[in-house]
Amino acid sequence: MAGKRSNTEATALALLALRAVFGKAIEPAAEKAKTWLAERQNVDGSWPLNDSLKESSWTTALAIIALSPSPDFNERVIKAGNWALEQEGSKPGILANLILAVTFQKKAVQLNEDLIGWSWTPNTFSWVEPTSYFLLALKKIRRNLSSKTVEQRIQQGELMIYDRMCDNGGWNYGNSSVYGDRLWPFPDTTAVALIALQDHHERKENQVSLRALSEMAKNTDSGLALSWSAICLSLYGQEGAELRHRLVERFAKTKFLGETKAIALGILAMGNGAGFFRV
Amino acid sequence: MNRREFIKASAGASLYPFLNSCEQQVRWEKAAFIKTKRSQVAILAAEQYGSSLRDTIRRGIQMFRLELNGKRVLLKPNLVEFDSKGAINTHPAVIEAAVGAFKTLGAREVIVAEGPGHRRDNEYLLTASGLYDVFKEHRIRYVDLNTDDVRLAKLKSSFTHFHQLYLPETLYNADLLVSMPKLKTHHWAGVTLSLKNMFGVVPGSVYGWPKNALHWAGIVGSILDINSSLPLPRFAIVDGIVGMEGNGPLQGQEKKSGVLIFGNDLVAVDATAARLMKIEPRKVKYLDLAGEFLGNIGYEQIEQIGENLHPYQQDFRVIDNFAYLKKLV
Repeated sequence: MAGKRSNTEATALALLALRAVFGKAIEPAAEKAKTWLAERQNVDGSWPLNDSLKESSWTTALAIIALSPSPDFNERVIKAGNWALEQEGSKPGILANLILAVTFQKKAVQLNEDLIGWSWTPNTFSWVEPTSYFLLALKKIRRNLSSKTVEQRIQQGELMIYDRMCDNGGWNYGNSSVYGDRLWPFPDTTAVALIALQDHHERKENQVSLRALSEMAKNTDSGLALSWSAICLSLYGQEGAELRHRLVERFAKTKFLGETKAIALGILAMGNGAGFFRV
Repeated sequence: MNRREFIKASAGASLYPFLNSCEQQVRWEKAAFIKTKRSQVAILAAEQYGSSLRDTIRRGIQMFRLELNGKRVLLKPNLVEFDSKGAINTHPAVIEAAVGAFKTLGAREVIVAEGPGHRRDNEYLLTASGLYDVFKEHRIRYVDLNTDDVRLAKLKSSFTHFHQLYLPETLYNADLLVSMPKLKTHHWAGVTLSLKNMFGVVPGSVYGWPKNALHWAGIVGSILDINSSLPLPRFAIVDGIVGMEGNGPLQGQEKKSGVLIFGNDLVAVDATAARLMKIEPRKVKYLDLAGEFLGNIGYEQIEQIGENLHPYQQDFRVIDNFAYLKKLV
């Protein structure tokens, strides 16, 4: 967003958008974005959130996706991929489960805690969106990673996402119900999860969720949700002309609140940007 | 005592030494917190989300004689998720009226800021809730605290392992922070009011959604550490016109109370709001601890102004895990 410090998420998505518009031609803004990302990569291979933080962050997955098409960045991307493989979402400790058991308290959520994906921040729970980003990033570079854990982590991350699916398809941020009350799916989270699971497009869960996304998209009005939905449907071979038309109308009305992330995704959805998310 | 209660009590007793040893670490900088002997809390009747709200809110603010001339006021509503059939968020009419009231009373600028806990899609939340049109009509600046620039703040208490937290720059550029929660029960904290509402100032981009790092560090401790360390004066306006009972903060049922609650001691405001819901504030863990150093919680320590509490008290249902909150002391 104008007036704010540059950050990895917005820069990575903006780089992809610029590549969608200008192709491989050398474009100063795209080169600037690449340089910015290269200069911010941590020694361990990860990326911080922005200029004012040094800590490794979930945005590393987006930097991998953005830089993976550039051969010059191959080494950096592999280093980041190896860092990603070392990151695991946590699960509730024995003490937490013991307290629940002995005090007869109801468990808030029903999910398989043993399925590990990726968390937003270190030492916290696995959530759908960061897990989807890391799955997509690893799937894009899996052939270049020598670690034996790649396939295992990918498989477990996929199982985790399927485990968290809402009853009628689609995904909320991480749980499908709380204290027995069903949660509803979000279009952006659902689209990102489906993009991460695109290589299983024939699975029943994918098809049910794709139908759920199509329904949600009819009533979706934000730049972010429309863009992710259009990108996802395009990757699944579905026509998205109507969504793209609404995207243009929406931008005319709200300018997507000036959020770089949403504007970049809008550009990717309007052009041929979906290909950057293909695995 | 039946068998179930006996096992529960025994288990609690056997775990208590361990839990208590954790609690012994709880500390706060004594010099940083000087409580007044008594706090005022105002309850004002507000039957519905109508045009008279601006005047009601203006009256509520004036009761506390806040110095607002030339000040930048930051309104922090509860905007977490949207459900057209629910009462999740602070109503847009209350936010609109508060903006007008603070401007009328001399504020140089009134900003609305929130870091939604569940949704990353601000545009959706603002448009679906109706706030986008309000902001556009009145040219109100909205800041997404989830993605704001951040500054590292040293915590003045240590109920969690954090010791320091990244806080949004916007907080440092304002003169007064107004917590504007919805009157709701909460399935993990018992109640969510003006103190719990401050989870929304912690940036999601750093701490994840739904502010997951705070949940892992402990909800009670996080509420206390955030509220002990915010870098500016605070005020609270609770939207209790229509609240939520049961499985809050998202999936509970609407509950009409017909009031707005005001105060500059957020602990006293929340204690009063809890009593309004027929919930014992001393049994809400974070309120009980907050009462030790952040503000006043005791009934005798709070001077009620405006309407009397009792005619507006309603029995808000809580989930089974919090049934013990309903035994008023």
